[in-house]
Amino acid sequence: MCLAPLVPLALLSGAAVFGRRASENAVAATIRTSIIAGSIAAGVALVERIANPSATSLLSYGQWFSYGEDAFRLDFVADAPALGFALLSTGICGVVAAFSLSYLHRERGFHRYFVQFCLFTLGITLVALAGSIEVLFAGWELLGLSSVLLVGFFHERPATVANALRVFTVYRASDAAMLSAAVLLHHWAGSGSLSLLFSGAPTAALGPGRSLAIVLLLMIAVAGKSALLPFSGWLPRAMEGPTSSSAVYYGALSIHAGCFLLLRAEPLLVGVWLARLLAALAGAMTALYAALTMRVQSDVKSRLSYAALTQVGIIVIEISLGWTTLAFLHIVAHASLRLLQFLGAPNVLHDLHELEDRAGGRAGRRVTRKLPAWLYLFALERGFVDALLDRMVVRPFFVVAGWLDRLDRRLVGAPDEGGRR
Amino acid sequence: MTDIAHLVDHVAHVLPAQGPIGVFIHHNTLHAWEDQRFEDAVVRAARRLGCQPFLPEDAYREELRRGRIGHRDVDAVLEEALAARADEAVVDGITRRELWRLLLLHGIPEARGARLSWLLSETDVLEGHTDLWEACLKAIGRSSHPPWSIAPPRRRHRDLLVATSDVDPDEWTRPVQIRFVGAYLDQGLARWPMPGRERGMYGCFLSFYGDSAARRCGAWAAGLVDLVVDDRRAGRDGAASLVRSLEDLGVPPTEWQEFLENEALWLRGWAGMVRQLETRPDRAPALAVPARLVDYLAVQLLLSRAALRHAMGLARIEGPLSQLRTNLQAHEPAPAPPPATERAWPVFHAAQLCGLSADRVAVLDAEKATVLETEVAQIDGLVRRRLLHVAFERRLRHRFYDALLQNVPRPPARRPAFQAMFCLDDREESFRRHLEEVEPDVETFGTAGFFGVAMYFRAAHAAHARPLCPVVLKPEHYVAEVGDAATSSPILRPVLAALRMTALVLRVLFPWLHRNVSRLQHALSGHAGARLRIDRAQGTPPLGKHVGFTVDEMADIVRGQLAPLGIAGRFARLVLVLGHGSTSLNNPQESAYDCGACGGGRGGPNGRAFAQMANDPRVRARLAGRGLPIPEDTWFVGGQRNSANNDVDLYDEDLVPDALRDDLERVRRTLEIARRRESHERCRRFESAPPSWFPEAASLLHVQARSADLAQPRPECGHATNAVCVIGRRSCTRGLFLDRRAFLVSYDATCDADGAALARLLAAVTPVLAGINLEYFFGFLDPTGYGCGTKLPHNVTGLLGVMDGAQSDLRTGLPWQMLEIHEPVRLTILVEATPEVLRRAVERDAYLGRLVRGRWLYLAALHPTERRLFEIDDAGEHPYAVEEPLPVVRGPSRTHYAGHAEHLPFVRIEPEVA
Repeated sequence: MCLAPLVPLALLSGAAVFGRRASENAVAATIRTSIIAGSIAAGVALVERIANPSATSLLSYGQWFSYGEDAFRLDFVADAPALGFALLSTGICGVVAAFSLSYLHRERGFHRYFVQFCLFTLGITLVALAGSIEVLFAGWELLGLSSVLLVGFFHERPATVANALRVFTVYRASDAAMLSAAVLLHHWAGSGSLSLLFSGAPTAALGPGRSLAIVLLLMIAVAGKSALLPFSGWLPRAMEGPTSSSAVYYGALSIHAGCFLLLRAEPLLVGVWLARLLAALAGAMTALYAALTMRVQSDVKSRLSYAALTQVGIIVIEISLGWTTLAFLHIVAHASLRLLQFLGAPNVLHDLHELEDRAGGRAGRRVTRKLPAWLYLFALERGFVDALLDRMVVRPFFVVAGWLDRLDRRLVGAPDEGGRR
Repeated sequence: MTDIAHLVDHVAHVLPAQGPIGVFIHHNTLHAWEDQRFEDAVVRAARRLGCQPFLPEDAYREELRRGRIGHRDVDAVLEEALAARADEAVVDGITRRELWRLLLLHGIPEARGARLSWLLSETDVLEGHTDLWEACLKAIGRSSHPPWSIAPPRRRHRDLLVATSDVDPDEWTRPVQIRFVGAYLDQGLARWPMPGRERGMYGCFLSFYGDSAARRCGAWAAGLVDLVVDDRRAGRDGAASLVRSLEDLGVPPTEWQEFLENEALWLRGWAGMVRQLETRPDRAPALAVPARLVDYLAVQLLLSRAALRHAMGLARIEGPLSQLRTNLQAHEPAPAPPPATERAWPVFHAAQLCGLSADRVAVLDAEKATVLETEVAQIDGLVRRRLLHVAFERRLRHRFYDALLQNVPRPPARRPAFQAMFCLDDREESFRRHLEEVEPDVETFGTAGFFGVAMYFRAAHAAHARPLCPVVLKPEHYVAEVGDAATSSPILRPVLAALRMTALVLRVLFPWLHRNVSRLQHALSGHAGARLRIDRAQGTPPLGKHVGFTVDEMADIVRGQLAPLGIAGRFARLVLVLGHGSTSLNNPQESAYDCGACGGGRGGPNGRAFAQMANDPRVRARLAGRGLPIPEDTWFVGGQRNSANNDVDLYDEDLVPDALRDDLERVRRTLEIARRRESHERCRRFESAPPSWFPEAASLLHVQARSADLAQPRPECGHATNAVCVIGRRSCTRGLFLDRRAFLVSYDATCDADGAALARLLAAVTPVLAGINLEYFFGFLDPTGYGCGTKLPHNVTGLLGVMDGAQSDLRTGLPWQMLEIHEPVRLTILVEATPEVLRRAVERDAYLGRLVRGRWLYLAALHPTERRLFEIDDAGEHPYAVEEPLPVVRGPSRTHYAGHAEHLPFVRIEPEVA
């Protein structure tokens, strides 16, 4: 299943490396074939799994390398949630690929787009099926990388690049938390296998304190990827890419990747009430914040992104309450709905006219309630989240970096002083 | 205070004049420069707006290579540009004409600064010519060409600040300003509209950003709250605050206008939209919020002041804000004179092209070297591009003249099989041609697609009425479609809802299936049997002054339309009146594909209303009394052609008299074949269309799928490639393959001796035609500057327009996908009339006169009885003689275009000989 996106990826980038450029039709053919093959594989595996629930779900493809007693294994897991999410992902990627093939027709960067799209498909499949934290991390990084590259797709515009950089920074910060969680898991459990998390009673094995530490780190990773507070500011900025990539990332899959990770790690929450409480709190605050912000956005893509964020917050609450089945269904339903809404976002004028014609008058409720100025401003300025991050994180970071830089110069001298002006 | 209002009115001229996007009206992108000569205007505007004045030089050189610019055209253009100076010797016996010609044909690679140094030191550009290069360098040393002096433009404070430090205050204020203005102007996308908008934009701004919560917008915003509070305390309105800001920023009153222009152009799309809503509140899609440009500028400068103060702190710049600009300007280094290599580079190339050896350059004395350098500098890249562009236009224009002069006019049949009136739109050219090829006995006409019926129209299924007439007219009449109410039952409704959900998925995966679904939906909802109510009725209409038209008004409209066509005396039994419109999905610019003569609306109802009027016995009685009898067995049928999916709908078919049933059936069959062929011809431009040897039905399916496909950014070709216009009888153009590039207006000069009808016609159609042509022209020249760039990241905002991605300026103009196959040439209007009549008509119309004098379009007269053609400009009439023979192709149009995706030459299509 993971091979599916690899084939066109290899073909496309291989061709680019050798200075050749495949025709659009050739790209279309490879992408269609591989995604259909991937979907069929996921579907068949899922049916098999449901028919035969007792079979082993851990598939090991050997180990990547080992160091001392730690082994980095290429493990995949094929239980129902993993296969379900993989099926959802390949299905959605298929729809978006079909859409993009005509949407990006003759666009400069057509090939670039599809290389990155394949990276994304590979990443999301790895995340879905990961059986060890190394595989998970690899998928997670591919997801983040392709996401940022597609946000910056129109790289000739400075605003696009600046926003892509912002997304990149938030992703890196939260990925650092993910990496720390991986290291800690290795350190404490002796292996990166996620079977410990998915099946057994991890808290019993690790102890509540260690569980909490890992959960907290994972929570940071989840919050970054799913744009939970206080990282929410990047989400509307990510609308810089083509409509189709915004749809698949921030409407459908990438935004739910964090939720899915939390869903898989839910056993860690068992018995750690503090973690549950924190997760619920993050979810609730995000949902409230996004619902409020969504109501005053006057452009269609920002509106949709905050609407999506509201549901993501609710999904996180559901997970924290242990309602994993509900959360999973919620993810599937929400991803599908939002995907269609995003793909049809430029159609909003057409849809509105149609709606008004059917309704026979102005459509939509126009609430003109008395809002206090600060509340409206809070919603309009998106909760000042970006400015807050700037003040609390970015500026101190720069101050410390500047301070270290000066210290460094004083201690070591400035070797590059001559070259500087 | 009135001064500042006056000043802002002036500033508003340079802003884009595009209104809310739901009604897209084509207009000249450079309308503010329209009173200047085109060739100066494009250069000035380009400099002002940071855009391209012409295509890149390489593009013209490519056209030279492909033969789409001929040597003859280059020579003619040089002749005109140099006039008497052409034969003067410039250097060493080489005439100016020769030098310019060589430079035009071969060009000089653009290279300055670092690029030039790199070329000289790292590449082999000098190989074999090092002597010449040295000689040129030395000659430059002797030359006393005055050094280039470009006065530095006075810029915004921020530009100066960014040039000297690494802080950019725009980065802080831009998001805040866009969010605020977007939310303020929003027409209904946000669920919670901004409260208290009746206070005006500036009042609203003061109330929100004076709240202490606004400090949280960022470190720079602390000062903003103080500024707002200060304005509030002093009770300033927008204008007063603007004056206060200008003083605080240290701008002397003499520079206010230029400064404010620069400020307004910073986010020109938003500023322009504010201005549009200020001057045309009736064009606001949902509600006319009080919008004033002066308020907008006041908000912008208030934000700027706060941000600049903070930036000064970060950049450690001392002194008051009012001194900032002077201080920064003083520290700016003066522009250095170009180094000798930069000056020698063009001379070096010119010498090579002229065959001047190193020895001959070496012996040039100071005076001759100066003459050479000055001459070469005169034909710099910009001038070369301008001249090549004119040459490029010339060739296309002359082939068009050749085609018109050599076409064999064929008088129409005494009683044609049927007649059809179309919009003058360039997209109807192909449809009319195919119709005539299928049915040689048909006669077609072209006229402004609202058919003289200016009205507010409300369809039976529509929630609102909308104006259907050119944007320069304000309709007085209101017409509603009334009939059986929608018949969907309570049982059907949920079924329909379910269908709709499925339709969403089907749209993405199988666009062609979706069409059937929506057909089904449409049939089930049932609006059959609805009729237009065009008769005058009592009561006040929701829009306009009167409900319906009186019989006299109808007679005037029908007569006004039919008389100039020269149709009198040969009415067929059936006359179609076909408006047009276009449907597409996921396309915020959908309205830009609709009928320009209907103000970006769909002209079907106009055709239908016109037919109903012309069928009315009361109207016919009046017309007969005024010398335009319509035979009793003639029947008009209104209809609409969808220029995207090629659906042709005929209205009120059930009213057609029984005696004409067979004729109607024949018309339907002809239309069916013609629409397939038209689709087939259009498909030659689409890469993803079926190949040309496929049956025509496949092409029809393809264009239908395009129009219903959510993922399709190019639903149809729009007006792309439009280039020429013929105002005259169809017999002059019939049989010509004009490649969907010609606006065709029917006008019979023999019925209009004094030219009064011509003057009316020109006044009505020129603004629409020039608007379409020039908007496409400039959009193609600079797709991201004058156009709105690629569609893919577009984000509909406030129901007013589109932004690029998350937050940007409001993007105006046409998207790149609409312009892709265009060829930027100014419109050539050829009128079948005597030059005297045409000149008189032009003199009477101030707007047309200005366009002709400034060369924003070309005008020519084709003598109605003699085979002579005159170009007309401000200098007079210039007779034109045929330059190249007109190729003749036998067979249907298909034999000429099949397998070609590029622009095709105009040819004469003659029926195959059996």
